[in-house]
Amino acid sequence: MRTPLFHEHEKLHAKIVDFHGWEMPVWYTGIKEEHLATRRSAGLFDICHMGEIYVSADESLPFLERVLTRDISSMEQGGALYTFLLNNAGGIIDDLIVYCLEPKRRFMLCVNSSNKDRDYAWLNEQNSLGAVIEDASDAFAMLALQGPASGAILHSCLGFDLEDIRSFHFSMATSPAYGEFLISRTGYTGAGGVEIFLSPNGATGLWQAFIAEGAVPCGLGARDTLRLEMGYPLHGNDLSETTTPLEAGLGFAVNLQKPDFIGKQALLVQHQRGVTRRLTGMEVLERGVPREGCLCLKHDSVVGIVTSGSISPVTGMGIALGYLDASVKEGEDISVDVRGKHLKARVKKPPFVSGTL
Amino acid sequence: MNIPEQLRYTKDHEWAKIEDNTLRVGITDYAQHEMGDVVYVDLKPTGTKVEKGDPVGTVESVKAVSEVFAPVSGTIIETNAALEQSPELVNQDSYGQGWMVVIAFEDAQDLEALMDAKDYEEYLSAEAK
Repeated sequence: MRTPLFHEHEKLHAKIVDFHGWEMPVWYTGIKEEHLATRRSAGLFDICHMGEIYVSADESLPFLERVLTRDISSMEQGGALYTFLLNNAGGIIDDLIVYCLEPKRRFMLCVNSSNKDRDYAWLNEQNSLGAVIEDASDAFAMLALQGPASGAILHSCLGFDLEDIRSFHFSMATSPAYGEFLISRTGYTGAGGVEIFLSPNGATGLWQAFIAEGAVPCGLGARDTLRLEMGYPLHGNDLSETTTPLEAGLGFAVNLQKPDFIGKQALLVQHQRGVTRRLTGMEVLERGVPREGCLCLKHDSVVGIVTSGSISPVTGMGIALGYLDASVKEGEDISVDVRGKHLKARVKKPPFVSGTL
Repeated sequence: MNIPEQLRYTKDHEWAKIEDNTLRVGITDYAQHEMGDVVYVDLKPTGTKVEKGDPVGTVESVKAVSEVFAPVSGTIIETNAALEQSPELVNQDSYGQGWMVVIAFEDAQDLEALMDAKDYEEYLSAEAK
């Protein structure tokens, strides 16, 4: 599959890779350069592959209250929440953002592209209440404009004032050039900025306009190092149907006070007993690159496994997320087995870089 | 794609420069371009005996890990220590400051299996199809 921006990527001589069936740019000029541009100025990402699912009608509220882990009833129009779809065992089917388009009646779920079909099927399986569920992924293009210069670029391209939207809120607007769009103060880089949903017809024009104003096109490679530097988990690596939000340290996105939701009982039990492993950050103190699947050792016994790893383009240090025994504490020194070499690493709570650079 | 005339090449995208009885080895411009930003280079120590096709080192980019293979059998007599601090030299100057090892080869016959620039160029265009 190709996004509406595929030709733009070709024109920019992007290196294209297969990403869960999508032909996506992994980099244009280089991951490091694109990463740093996002931290210091502004990066532009084609994220049209993300999935969008509408849930509407009067039944949508009780339905979403049952399948999502946060309190949806108090959401106001223009609000966005990071939340989960869980299975009965509390395992994470997907992490997503729910947008409230009309309180209690109409919502949009923005889900991971690789999980979209699974999510859609799961939602339909659970929908005994009769909410209207619609996979609208083909109707949307999605761009992320991230970094400290995002505000100025948005202002010149859309006449839009970033300060008008609070974090995890969105606005609807219409532009003569790009049509109707939803602009959300969210992102996956920790650099600030917005994510914009619009019609595929408007995507190329807006993409070009952002670049003309100085946004640097960034591929999935930089998207991955940026999120890892902030410690944001990636479903498929750090989250899965066999890990729970409590193990992943994402309890903030679960409301155990809610009357009921799928997976709640399992999480309550885990909450009472305490988790036995935790998703944790690690900073490698020697030369080398930790990778997914590397074992973590303490006094030569295995205490965990790396689920995401790379080099921070900002610090040049190896950084990783992984599940470690709950007995391993922040600040402790462990080692990571990188193809037989035991590299010294320190357990560190992300982000691995400070917010302002 | 830069493919210097005077060098020899392997199917694994190493280049080799014949210097008397030794071979200076690195990865090609094509290889560095495919890998992206090189962030780590780990080379076998000086004195290591290698058979043709044995790994002489590991190159890592943000995304991938690749091995560099010995184009000939012999002994590693020199390694590029500058890559320890500056792995980006592999991207910036793959045929120059980005060299990796020098191998004293045992049998000059090994050299005959290497491609010249024209063959390598043809090999690349065939691989792209």
